[in-house]
Amino acid sequence: MSKKLAVIPEECSGCKMCELVCAIKHFGVNNPKKSAIRVLITYPHPVVRMPIVCSQCKKPPCEEVCPVDALSRVNGVVALNTGVCISCFHCVESCPFGAIYAHDDCDYPIKCDMCDGDPECVKRCPKAALRLVPEYALGESKRLNNVLSYTQMKEVEFVEKGETKIIHYAEIGKEQL
Amino acid sequence: MSIKGGYFRKHLHVDLTCGALERRDLSEEFIERYVGGRGFGAKLVWDNLKAHNFKLDPLGAENLLVVAPGPLTGAYVPSSGKNSFVAISPATGLYGDSSIGGSFGVELRQAGLDCLSITGAAPQLSILFIDNDNVSIIEMPQLKGKTCLQAEGIIKERLGSHNVHTATIGVAGENRVRFACVNSDWSRNAGRTGIGAIMGAKNLKAIVVRGTKDLPVFDVNGLVEETQKAVKYMTEHKYFKLWQQQGLMNVIEYANEKGILPAYNFKATTFAAHDKINGETMLEHYKIGDSACFMCPMCCGNICLVKNGKYTGTVTEGPEYESCAMLGSNLGVERFDAVLAANKLCDELGVDTISTGSIVGAVIEGYEKGIISLADLDGKGIAWNDDEAIMDLIGRIARREGIGDILAEGSRRIIQQWPEMEKVILQVKGLEQSAYDSRVGASMGLAYATSDIGAHHTRAWTIAKEIEEGANWSTEDKVDLVMYHQAVRPLFDMLGVCRLPWIELGLNERHYEKFYSYVTGKQTTLEELLKLSDHVYNLTRRMNVRLGATRKEDSLPYKVRKSPVLTGPNAGKTLDEHEFERMLSLYYQKRGWDKDGMPPVEIEAAF
Repeated sequence: MSKKLAVIPEECSGCKMCELVCAIKHFGVNNPKKSAIRVLITYPHPVVRMPIVCSQCKKPPCEEVCPVDALSRVNGVVALNTGVCISCFHCVESCPFGAIYAHDDCDYPIKCDMCDGDPECVKRCPKAALRLVPEYALGESKRLNNVLSYTQMKEVEFVEKGETKIIHYAEIGKEQL
Repeated sequence: MSIKGGYFRKHLHVDLTCGALERRDLSEEFIERYVGGRGFGAKLVWDNLKAHNFKLDPLGAENLLVVAPGPLTGAYVPSSGKNSFVAISPATGLYGDSSIGGSFGVELRQAGLDCLSITGAAPQLSILFIDNDNVSIIEMPQLKGKTCLQAEGIIKERLGSHNVHTATIGVAGENRVRFACVNSDWSRNAGRTGIGAIMGAKNLKAIVVRGTKDLPVFDVNGLVEETQKAVKYMTEHKYFKLWQQQGLMNVIEYANEKGILPAYNFKATTFAAHDKINGETMLEHYKIGDSACFMCPMCCGNICLVKNGKYTGTVTEGPEYESCAMLGSNLGVERFDAVLAANKLCDELGVDTISTGSIVGAVIEGYEKGIISLADLDGKGIAWNDDEAIMDLIGRIARREGIGDILAEGSRRIIQQWPEMEKVILQVKGLEQSAYDSRVGASMGLAYATSDIGAHHTRAWTIAKEIEEGANWSTEDKVDLVMYHQAVRPLFDMLGVCRLPWIELGLNERHYEKFYSYVTGKQTTLEELLKLSDHVYNLTRRMNVRLGATRKEDSLPYKVRKSPVLTGPNAGKTLDEHEFERMLSLYYQKRGWDKDGMPPVEIEAAF
């Protein structure tokens, strides 16, 4: 699978709908504490609303620490084989993002499985803060936002069919021409 | 058993005086009749009141504080993060409640509780920590004098976890300011009726909860299907995007245009500098992020940052419409950064922005009119748009310094001190009026007058319809709409969900009968649920009657009746008193109450 789950924290409102739909889909229960995605909220210093979910690393630290090889990368997803897992939860501690979760009721670590390529959280996020994008497109929105904030970028407001729009352009200094 | 899900059927009762914790089971009849949230609270407060022969000091140890989410709180239902606080109000001496969004109620439910009640007073400043089944009362005198946000930080550090949700009070709550609020998740507030003062009187600085349990939902699949239909409707609504972007701040422009925006303590109802404090200004210069309550696609919360000027570095969630109007236009404040700073100050000190804005506005007008002297103000003059003097006064109220000690007692005490202030201050039953003027039409006046907690729009908000219909709207229709609102809107507080998807985006209230049925397994109809809500309305009314309220208490502020609006489309208008009295009588008659507004005493047998 070439698609990645991208998180856009600037868009996240912290509603935790992703948490609840994940738990319902995987456990059939109304319990956001059983989801493989959690919104980290800090306030006011710093102001952060950030869904934390598995990045499906290509060199997964969780796979490395697993003593029984229960974790392996299959079709771009780091999958947990519960038939092999001994529930030592070393993977939970090894993840540099803290993106694998544990719950008292659950025998196994709770980890994103990408819902067979069609993540429920992406479908239900009301702010489009979670997106499924091709791997080569990762970071694209960052690049665009960054470009628009360049100091030499200028903008012109215009009206098209009654709607006010803005065109951005980079002004080239005359002396350079 | 007709109720198969939705409840843990558990009620935790805490007596802070002796530190006793008691787990009680909730009966089938109780959960069927009272549903949750405000319903549970009203019933438990009634029982407590009865046990005290209807004589009770709201700031005494004997006042029972009920914290109750509803059966839909935390469920996969749009905007399901609501939780109610219910008690006898120190502001009105009558029934009081206030609700918060965020995630506090969800966490309480996940700790396996449908309801929490607190009585007594702790010997030392303490917190109540509910960690799933483990409950403890922890003395934390180091929290004394700390702001709401500081306290939340210290508590999280002490417990070694950020995965807890808190409801804290600030200095104002500790000092029993009669309009002190409860602050949760840093910036969500149960603002009205002085619940914070009750916590202060109980020496309870915070309630802290961590819960990880599955919520009992009877039919998850059915619920998912229904909710996805509702969310689809909401996200496709033409105003959905506006709500996500501006939240309640979009109401400023509407209110100004229609002439219902409080300006200069309601002397005027339009504000010349409205564009300096409206949603567009916020979006363009201040907003840095959205903030949503649990499961809410609308995310009406705005996180704002002041990036330059004297308030640089002020981060606050909000303000929403009421706070912005009451701390902005109502005080003649023409700069949004000052509104943000005042909003943050209120959050930190733990005072209600509506009551604070109303009282400060009244003080400015009272001083202007010579009712309050410079000596009364401790030598510190105050004027419209004087943001620094305004914030200084808010601080003195919270700390009860000088005049602040009188103002902290609320509008009734203020009128006692300066009788002429009766003509200046806007209050019903001792609760200061919220940010919609009612001189535009009598239905909003009726809504304020008959609200069980005082002049707050939470029970009925008919002003948009009033403006839309104008003179074509019959008195009977007005009364009917007020009554319908007074049934539907409290129902949301009983179910534990937010009413904004319904009132603002027009989400059909029929969805809620289905949500209730899927969650509890009990088939019901909206009409049945509304009957339960009406039952609670009768209960709170009987409670108020028992506490001494009569028709006289269902009256409107002098200003609404006698002082014409100075500006805008409603200039020259006052409330039509004859129409109002007629409406009130018709309202009582339709409710089956007597001419003095009393429901028959016999109905008490049903409570």
